[in-house]
Amino acid sequence: MKLLLLLLAIDASRMERDLDEIARVATIMVDGDLCQRIVTARAMESIFRVDPRDQYADSDNYDVNDEAFIRTKKTLMRLSRIVDYPVDVNLWMPLVAKPPRIHVVIRNQYEMSQFWPWGKLHQDMIPEMQSVLTTGRRVTVKQKPGFISVLAPVRNSLNEIVAVVEVVTRTQPDARENVK
Amino acid sequence: MWNLQSRIAAIALLSSALCQGMDLHALPEFSRPDPLGGIVAVDSAGSKFAAVVQVTAARGGYASFHLIAKLDHPADYEVSINFPLTVDVYREWFHFNTPDKKYYPDALIPVTSPYRSKLPEPDNRIPEHTAQAFWIDVWIPTSTAPRTYRGEARLTSGTGRKAIPIEITVLSAVVPEKDAVTLDSNSYGTSWLEEQYPKTLAGLSKNQEPLFKLIHQYHRVFYDHRGTFHQLGYGHAGKVGPEFGPETTGSGVQKHISSWSQFDRHYGPLFDGSAFKDSRRGPRPIPYVYLPINPEWPASFLWWGEPGYEAEFVNVVSEMEKHFREKNWTSTRMEVFFNHKKRYKGFPWDGDEIRFERDNRYLVDYRRMLDKAVPANSPVQFIMRADSSWTMEHQFEELKGIIKFWVVGEGSFSWYPGAAKRLKDRGDTVWTYGGTPTVQSISTKMTLNPLRSWITGVDGFVRWLTISPGADPWYHFGGGGEVLVYSGERFGRPEPLAGIRLKLQRNCLQDLALLEAASQKGSREQIQQEVVKRYNGTRLADWHNTPPALLAKPVLEWNNADFDDALKPYEARFANLDLGAWQRVRDYALSLEAR
Repeated sequence: MKLLLLLLAIDASRMERDLDEIARVATIMVDGDLCQRIVTARAMESIFRVDPRDQYADSDNYDVNDEAFIRTKKTLMRLSRIVDYPVDVNLWMPLVAKPPRIHVVIRNQYEMSQFWPWGKLHQDMIPEMQSVLTTGRRVTVKQKPGFISVLAPVRNSLNEIVAVVEVVTRTQPDARENVK
Repeated sequence: MWNLQSRIAAIALLSSALCQGMDLHALPEFSRPDPLGGIVAVDSAGSKFAAVVQVTAARGGYASFHLIAKLDHPADYEVSINFPLTVDVYREWFHFNTPDKKYYPDALIPVTSPYRSKLPEPDNRIPEHTAQAFWIDVWIPTSTAPRTYRGEARLTSGTGRKAIPIEITVLSAVVPEKDAVTLDSNSYGTSWLEEQYPKTLAGLSKNQEPLFKLIHQYHRVFYDHRGTFHQLGYGHAGKVGPEFGPETTGSGVQKHISSWSQFDRHYGPLFDGSAFKDSRRGPRPIPYVYLPINPEWPASFLWWGEPGYEAEFVNVVSEMEKHFREKNWTSTRMEVFFNHKKRYKGFPWDGDEIRFERDNRYLVDYRRMLDKAVPANSPVQFIMRADSSWTMEHQFEELKGIIKFWVVGEGSFSWYPGAAKRLKDRGDTVWTYGGTPTVQSISTKMTLNPLRSWITGVDGFVRWLTISPGADPWYHFGGGGEVLVYSGERFGRPEPLAGIRLKLQRNCLQDLALLEAASQKGSREQIQQEVVKRYNGTRLADWHNTPPALLAKPVLEWNNADFDDALKPYEARFANLDLGAWQRVRDYALSLEAR
């Protein structure tokens, strides 16, 4: 049993190093200018819309520019393939709001995340992501049992940090989670 | 079947004193009892307890009623039924419904006759519980000789005995096997099964057999109730559950299927019908199934727009076609359906309920690839399905010949008179979709969607979610607008338990099948006129809507509130159903057959 726990710990620590390396590369490879073109201007206008008569007014108008989305998603997918076990690389972007908010913009194949409450269009700023957005330093998060995420900054051509990638895996994959 | 007006001797039931603090009585199926000896308020107008059961029914179907055992004081009791036809007895669970803080019966727990217990029923935990209700299904095989069958139900307790006669008149009419409309129950994935059956599926990582058994039982419970069951096998970013898709390996032109093991275990008995081999309806392949095809499966979205995407898609789908053909799985329509929405951030286009018209082009691409993968003369029935609401009228034309199976919002579809006929005339299949009446709705509301589907001429109706009972359906129920079957695990039965609303729906479908058969022989319009008149005093024209002013605005300017506002006048025509609505239709259906 002790040996098993040790092996699992080694695996988890190896995963953590792998994810950190993917996150480091993601900062170099993900194009922040392209990310900023993903959500359409019309969708951004309606993303905070609260209509007491229509609870879906924001999400029904959510829209993206296909080309920017697809190019960025493909980069994220390639990054996730650096290792041979299930990893997702999700893209998160801050929203201009007080208090600050953030939204996931691209999710990937295994539908893993430590931060996304299923179905939320946007949510309160996540302190660890705020830290990455402010300092530009990668952060490893292991809040949710069995999950490891490394957060890394994404910069645009002005060297502004405009997004965060979440490189995430589970130490015990759940094949049926999020199939809904 | 129940003939309330003329054949039942209704009694006021102040007779408990005569039976030394106990009584046994019956109610027609649409009059749901409560645990205190009354009738749930919403079903009470026109309801009367009966001291005798008199039902008229066709063969090849069920006749149903409630049996209520009432004890004035806590005591043990026994209920038994003696009847010459096959009788299924279910204890009715009384759910405490949080929204209105009232009790409603819905979940049905199979019991055997004689049934012994006590009141208050210990597990239902209702301190003032004085009446236990039982749902009685009498199965009438097609081989049954037409005549009147007699038996009785008996209540025994320490204070005495009470019996009531049961009399079922079986007509020569036979409920057709084929339904007038397909009533579908929808669901997503299998993780909800793990939540609802924690004991049964505790060892799932080592042994998947209990999962497959449960999945088949869900199909079975809906099949037994003349319905179909859909289970979507992938998520909004393309994750496919392991039992929903064959395993694949390789990439690009090398991509192919490496194992059918779990897929075949899951779907084999459903596609060849053997999952239903012991059912009263007999073995029959399921008529429809969602395939796992989505933007991430079988082709990786990494290659979207490149030759590799098409290569992976065509390779794998071709292998699926070949496998299905070799297995002779040719009776089931294999649906290529895209459920994802861009709001869930997996893909850049909406597959479900397309609102932005430019998203249609993805469906055109998939149809092209599907045609490349599946030989034109294949006996396997691959079909492109689209679920549509906002832009349905535009999609009907833009995707003509691309989409052959439309599942459209029932309300907004009513704005396009003639659309059902137009689509069906070109060979498309058309279903509408909507929700499920909650337990606090009048029970006859369960018949509205099936009837409206038949009247408007669509092929089916989907209740969008029917397996989600909420966190605590037993003691803090949320109305049940997303559930028609319940986990039986707490009763030691690792299987889905039908609810009363599902039984009411089944019996309605039996009657619709009779009406459809009569319509094919006579004047459909005349029969439908009579049906809607009896149902809610309307004319056939009242069931057809007209386009609202909203349609003049661009779709992107509509919102859900506009939808609701535009539908209100139409829905108001069906707002005041009474408890006898369906019984009057049933009487007519049976009288047509008698003629």
